Amino acid sequence: MSFAIELGLDTLSYSLSLLLVSLGLVIIFGLMNVINMAHGEFFLLGAYSVVAVQHAGMPYWAALIVAPIVLAIIGVVVEQLIIRHVYHRFIDTILATWGLALAIKQLIVIVFGPTSQSIVNPLPEPVQILGVVYPSFRLFIMAVALAVSVATFWVFYRTHIGLAIRGVIANRSMAASLGLNTRRMDRWTFAFGAALAGFAGAVMAPIMSVDPQMGGGFLIPAFLSIMVGGMAHLLGVVLGVGLIGATGTVISSIDTQVASQVAVFLLAIIIIRIWPEGLIGRRR
Amino acid sequence: MNLRFMSGGRLTMGIWVMLALAPLLADEWSVSQLGQYLTYGILAMSLSFIWGQAGILCFGQAIFFGLGAYLMGLTTLDKLTWLGGSQLAGLALATVGPALAAYVLGKMLFVGRGLSGAFFAIVTLCAAVIVEIVAQHTEFIGGFDGLLGVPPLMSTWRAGDDMMSTNEVFYVVLGSALVIYLLLLFIQRSPFGAVLAAIRNNEERTASFGYRTVEYKVAAFTLSGAVAGYAGALFTAQFGFVSPAIIGTALSTEVLIWVAVGGRAVLMAAFLGVVLVRSVESVLSATLGPYWLLLLGLLFILTVVAMPDGLFGRLLRLSLPRSWREPRRREAPDMQGVEAMGLNKTTKPSS
Repeated sequence: MSFAIELGLDTLSYSLSLLLVSLGLVIIFGLMNVINMAHGEFFLLGAYSVVAVQHAGMPYWAALIVAPIVLAIIGVVVEQLIIRHVYHRFIDTILATWGLALAIKQLIVIVFGPTSQSIVNPLPEPVQILGVVYPSFRLFIMAVALAVSVATFWVFYRTHIGLAIRGVIANRSMAASLGLNTRRMDRWTFAFGAALAGFAGAVMAPIMSVDPQMGGGFLIPAFLSIMVGGMAHLLGVVLGVGLIGATGTVISSIDTQVASQVAVFLLAIIIIRIWPEGLIGRRR
Repeated sequence: MNLRFMSGGRLTMGIWVMLALAPLLADEWSVSQLGQYLTYGILAMSLSFIWGQAGILCFGQAIFFGLGAYLMGLTTLDKLTWLGGSQLAGLALATVGPALAAYVLGKMLFVGRGLSGAFFAIVTLCAAVIVEIVAQHTEFIGGFDGLLGVPPLMSTWRAGDDMMSTNEVFYVVLGSALVIYLLLLFIQRSPFGAVLAAIRNNEERTASFGYRTVEYKVAAFTLSGAVAGYAGALFTAQFGFVSPAIIGTALSTEVLIWVAVGGRAVLMAAFLGVVLVRSVESVLSATLGPYWLLLLGLLFILTVVAMPDGLFGRLLRLSLPRSWREPRRREAPDMQGVEAMGLNKTTKPSS
């Protein structure tokens, strides 16, 4: 029984972390039709901002504020310098952001070195929950991920800004002709997506191996999640990360990590093959 | 005739002649380096064919390259005993196997409603990651270490059956590259290639003209897989080993950079992109150290954003096949000057 509870907690923790990463990806894609291959590297930069904060002698919690701000600024710059020029060439956005990913990864190697960095766990004491002993920091991550996701949903579906964003997603030219400044919205959406990735990186850094390759580890499952769930609605992402997260965690607990990655990929391929628009997709 | 287009053809021929003469001018080490670049060049042509001609962006081209490399290694190391360890059998298997893999992957991803371009790119990227992980953990193909001690290319025509010399290997690779180049060029300029170009421009419109676009895409993808696999086989014989690193994302990404920097739409430009990037890398990576990769990433972004044709794309673009040009040509052969001016305007829609 305690094994099942622990597995359930692991699944929930992994899925919520994945949700945090995927949200930024899907918002950028939904609004701007840009597939951001550098999202994993934004996550990486978030994690390394924890390293930098630690070097500066500040507490871990400061990184949770520093990371999203730094990444939002980087997001604005990247949008201005690169993304803006390739909006109309859909495939080229993939390539340009992929090049950006390579450059960021290499920049991290140059600045911090290729080896993994150690980060002090700010909440080392485990807690007793539902009869199992569980690392309290994981519970903190779950709570934060849930809070940020709910806040994002609230902004999207309950505020004026969210209404404007959904308007642009539904019909860009119509929204522009009604007086919405789509150019400015693109810039801030990209910055927001980047900030979300950076925040996720900062939150997850203490329980991950912080090295220059860590971005890719989350990017692939995040991509699979949003393709499985569908990009038309934010709820699709929730469904996608749930499915991918659960499959991954359960199989890696009974078999190897390799088997779990292969199984997740095959599951995703089958689902995408049957529902190319995702489980909650735009129906043609 | 239009000068700019003629010069593309002449330059291409000139480059082939220069490559053929290279062993006379360069020392043995440079020749073997150049031979390796040419092998990567064949891989680049396979990607340029599928991406530049049919508009299918594949983020996992190294899957087929690596599969070919492993099949060649397994055959010549006699791990697939029923084949008897012959290199010709290895080359054949390394061409057919990846072709089959590409066919199956293409069928899975294109048939039905199919995946749009971006999703296809992401799925192939994920596939490359997964294939690399699986290769790392499969004992039969050597796990993390890969296959070591793969025999080099043998010269069967000489008595004693010994290794080919550096120059012989170079000419085998160059000959292969030339044959593959001419084959792909012939296909690009055939009616089949015209349909592929039409699919790249607008798949729905092409389908509504009655073409079975899925069949065309799968066929092109299969051919591209076969070429990549053959290049992988040559790679194994040249380097003497295969490791999981060449079947995964690292090489898949690298070949994308070569092709994008060289010029995706022109086979020769993609081919030269490899030679350029690798040569510059061998010169600069020692002095720049880790900054080289940073520079390469930035160069890649710059070419994608500012020069979608790549560095050599415009320079090496060939004139259109005669039959694609304006039908006026055959009726009024005396109006060549007028037609040459018209040619400039009409190249865009059909390319």
